[in-house]
Amino acid sequence: MNNFTREMVDEYANKLLIGLTEEENKLVLKEFNIIDANMQLIEKFPDIKKIEPMTHALDSYEYELKEETGEVESIEIEDLLKNCGCYEEREIKVPRVIN
Amino acid sequence: MNKYKAVIGLEMHCEMKSKTKVFSNALNNYSEIPNVNVSPIDMAFPGILPRINKECVKKALMASIILNCKQPEYLEFDRKNYYYPDLPKGYQITQMHSPIGVSGKITIDCNGYEKEVLIHDIHLEEDAASLDHYDDATLIDYNRCGVPLLELVTEPCFSNADEAIAFLETIKRIYQYCDISEADTRKGQIRCDVNVSIMDENSTTLGTKVEMKNVNSFSNIYDCINYEIKRQSELKASGRYDEVIQETRRYDEESGTTIRMREKVEAIDYKYFIEPNIPKYKINKDWLEKIKLAIPMLPKERKEKYINEYKLSEYDANIIIKEKDYADYFEETVQIGADAKSAANWLIVNIIGYLSKNDETLKDFYLKPQMLQEIISAQNSGQISSKQAKEIFIKCLEEKKHPKEFMNKENAQISDKDKISEIITVILENNPEQITAYKNGKTNLFDYFVGQVMKETKGKANPVITKEILKNKLDN
Amino acid sequence: MTELSIEKLHNLLINGEISSEALIKEAIAKSYEVQKKCNAFVTIIENAKAVEVTDNLLSGIPYGIKDNYSTKGILSTGSSNTLKNYIPIFDATAVEQLKKAGAVAVNKTALDEFGMGGTGTTAHTGIIKNPWDLSRTCAGSSSGSAAAVAAGVYPYALGSDTGDSIRKPAAFCGIVGYKPTYGMISRYGLFPFASSLDTCGVLTRNVKDAAIVVDAMKKQDEKDLTSWASKDMHLYESINGEVKGKKLFYIKEIVDESNYPNISEELKKHLQIFKESLKKLEAQGVIIEEVSIDKELLKTIPSVYVCISCAEATSNMSNLTGIAFGPRGNGENIYEIMKNHRTVGFSPLIKRRFVIGSYILQKENQERYFVNAQRVRRLIVDRMKELFKKYDALILPVSKGVAPKLDELNDEINDESTVLLEEHLQIGNFGGFPSITIPNGMINKMPVGINITGNCFDDINVLNIAYALESQMNYKDMTAGDYRE
Repeated sequence: MNNFTREMVDEYANKLLIGLTEEENKLVLKEFNIIDANMQLIEKFPDIKKIEPMTHALDSYEYELKEETGEVESIEIEDLLKNCGCYEEREIKVPRVIN
Repeated sequence: MNKYKAVIGLEMHCEMKSKTKVFSNALNNYSEIPNVNVSPIDMAFPGILPRINKECVKKALMASIILNCKQPEYLEFDRKNYYYPDLPKGYQITQMHSPIGVSGKITIDCNGYEKEVLIHDIHLEEDAASLDHYDDATLIDYNRCGVPLLELVTEPCFSNADEAIAFLETIKRIYQYCDISEADTRKGQIRCDVNVSIMDENSTTLGTKVEMKNVNSFSNIYDCINYEIKRQSELKASGRYDEVIQETRRYDEESGTTIRMREKVEAIDYKYFIEPNIPKYKINKDWLEKIKLAIPMLPKERKEKYINEYKLSEYDANIIIKEKDYADYFEETVQIGADAKSAANWLIVNIIGYLSKNDETLKDFYLKPQMLQEIISAQNSGQISSKQAKEIFIKCLEEKKHPKEFMNKENAQISDKDKISEIITVILENNPEQITAYKNGKTNLFDYFVGQVMKETKGKANPVITKEILKNKLDN
Repeated sequence: MTELSIEKLHNLLINGEISSEALIKEAIAKSYEVQKKCNAFVTIIENAKAVEVTDNLLSGIPYGIKDNYSTKGILSTGSSNTLKNYIPIFDATAVEQLKKAGAVAVNKTALDEFGMGGTGTTAHTGIIKNPWDLSRTCAGSSSGSAAAVAAGVYPYALGSDTGDSIRKPAAFCGIVGYKPTYGMISRYGLFPFASSLDTCGVLTRNVKDAAIVVDAMKKQDEKDLTSWASKDMHLYESINGEVKGKKLFYIKEIVDESNYPNISEELKKHLQIFKESLKKLEAQGVIIEEVSIDKELLKTIPSVYVCISCAEATSNMSNLTGIAFGPRGNGENIYEIMKNHRTVGFSPLIKRRFVIGSYILQKENQERYFVNAQRVRRLIVDRMKELFKKYDALILPVSKGVAPKLDELNDEINDESTVLLEEHLQIGNFGGFPSITIPNGMINKMPVGINITGNCFDDINVLNIAYALESQMNYKDMTAGDYRE
């Protein structure tokens, strides 16, 4: 079942904007084999496809959406830029992004 | 070039109108100054969670109802994951699994015929930050980040650019009428993705679909569609249809052409999954009913009313419904008693012209419906002449004064029959030779007498009454 | 004094026998000591100010905050290099609530990077050590909080729990770890790991203290749509120790010795201690029954957990690019800059989990991995809810024994034999169930723990059972080195 390869690991890491060492790559493959084996188990559960996926911790939410109250939140510019490594005047600066 | 037919589909993104953003409490306002309407949520600082703006959900549902879509039982959102510097969270909150409306349809008027447009879905999502590109750097402004967007996706059901534009105009108007959006293309509030393919006239197999991203004005969309149809047709006609590939292109305004951006093969996988921070929200029937009742009369119905009830021409009705402001102004004027045809005339001939000349909108137009109504009734009752009415109209706007100020006795038209009769009697007494000449057949002297009356009254005599009395006196 | 309970400290403060200043000073001094030994903190808040002591039980008393809570004006790193200089501009709602109660934060505790990991070895500030035995782990991810509370720095510290991150460190450090029902405490300002599993909670040295702190932290927060109204739920006041007639169950496939053919002496002792604890409850009129659950279903727990948590985590941490905050990466273009920030900033463990998470979210894999995991999550939760109709709570031993030696750890996903003993606490996160761990014995001078988990919103019941058991044992208000029989 499992056709997860080293190259794929690197490709997925790259898509996440992450670089992996060879050692890390190996570990991913190893961990993945365990998960994959378990997923094969899951697929064998009877009628698994009929079960509604559980996407939230609680199913019993009853809540009201909030009306716009006119309460407005806005960050002071000093706060907005406080943790930023590179900015110009009021804006965050990055190298020119080419479309 | 007519041996091919085109198939066109649209994705229309429109910024919605609301006080605050869709998932945060920052103002939903355009600002020239960067980063003034930004909450920690918009910046995606660690630990932030989305809220939901009920107003946006309500308006999105309203659009869904108008477009005859099916509304879901539960409100639900998804994450669309990708990395781009205008997307601070690294994902956009949107709707994929369960959009706020699916499988809708709407009938539009296109150059005199009706066309049914099929809606694939309509969904609520958030806008990204804006990137300001300079030679050596890009600056990020988060004001737009989190602004509510309504994305409408049609089935590929248009066969030419005219139909596509007629549809966009119709939707734009609906949004404006329902206050869902200002839908102002000049402010960049509407952005469209357009997909175009061509096929043989008799074929039922769709051709290769080419997508144009982010086309931003209706005239560009029009040109873009036509260019793309031409491009594909020429390639097909010359046996090079294999050069039409499934890809994403962009419209280049300067050259009026489309240019390749990327091939579909390397399409990004957005890894959509249900947003776990927003619990499902039950959309109850009562709420939907309430929203339905709150839908104002839409342009199409208004047009029918203008034609059937107010007896306007279709041409005039079309002009008035073009903007909700026009229609509202018109209806208010009529409602307080003005003659509908006169009101339409004034609006179309004088007001719209004035607005465009002075780059004003009806919202800050000084002459309110009440004032226009007063001018119209004064004119229709003969109290003032049409020439005077126009003068008063201009004076009101110039001096920002109420029309009453210019309709005092000195200026008023003389419609008093006895008074006019008296003046005419004097004039006739003083011109015996002319009367004789007139009675001997020199009938064009009639205008001479009218002229004399006008001279005497400084042009204020009601011309209709004047002519009536004169004719009576001369012919008897 | 800081080793005393909240109730005692409050009385001393009210009676003027100690001052808030003195308590805070002591907590800060102890923080430095514990930092030297255990490396438990990212930040010690030297200038923490005393506040007026009021009727509020928490007023004037020092406490610690796990470093994945956003604290205004105070460095908050999530124990990650990606946020090593990040100073938030807002407080997490839970922190804001405690501030309102008059609680005084004196440090930010280290954790496994962003809560991913259970060993206390992946914090950017280094390995966190167990105050009972410095060669051992505290487990994780609330490692620093557990170490500090066990060392008596203060009566409580905040934790967060995605799989077992409060409840396992509590067991390994001989203290109480309470994860309330999902959504009772707002997550606004908690750095997310896996949003549908993350829960705020607390580590204390006794059950009542845990109730007191959560009473103060909880609130329906308009900033967290998954939070719910618990105004009428008064945890502390509701604890009375009356448990007669309550029905508990344990899972045979986890507890029965026959599951472990090559059972270690340590595990044998652990299970024996567990059974003794059950007897103590039975003596108070609690009915306890053994329940059997499909082992094939139980076996999937760790994979279901990994699939869901890794998938949500990859997405949750996509905001960490070093653009608007965090150290700016190096590179020629925007993508290189973001990639450099993430490659340098994340620890190897997290990176591996991200790749797995991303893979299983991929369009062509999502159904097989992510969605199937969500389906099994429901199967497990449904089975538990069915049992909660008949029983008040589930009771189980935590882990296969005491805290492992740091040099014997491996951070890979657990293998076969004792995997269920290690991972069953994740059930509590699958269902959003209230769950509490308390110490129930010592093996070779190291503490072990027992866990009680109940149905959603049934926190009072869970706390009450834990309190009743605690009262029958000798491990209440225990600090590290305080060896008890």
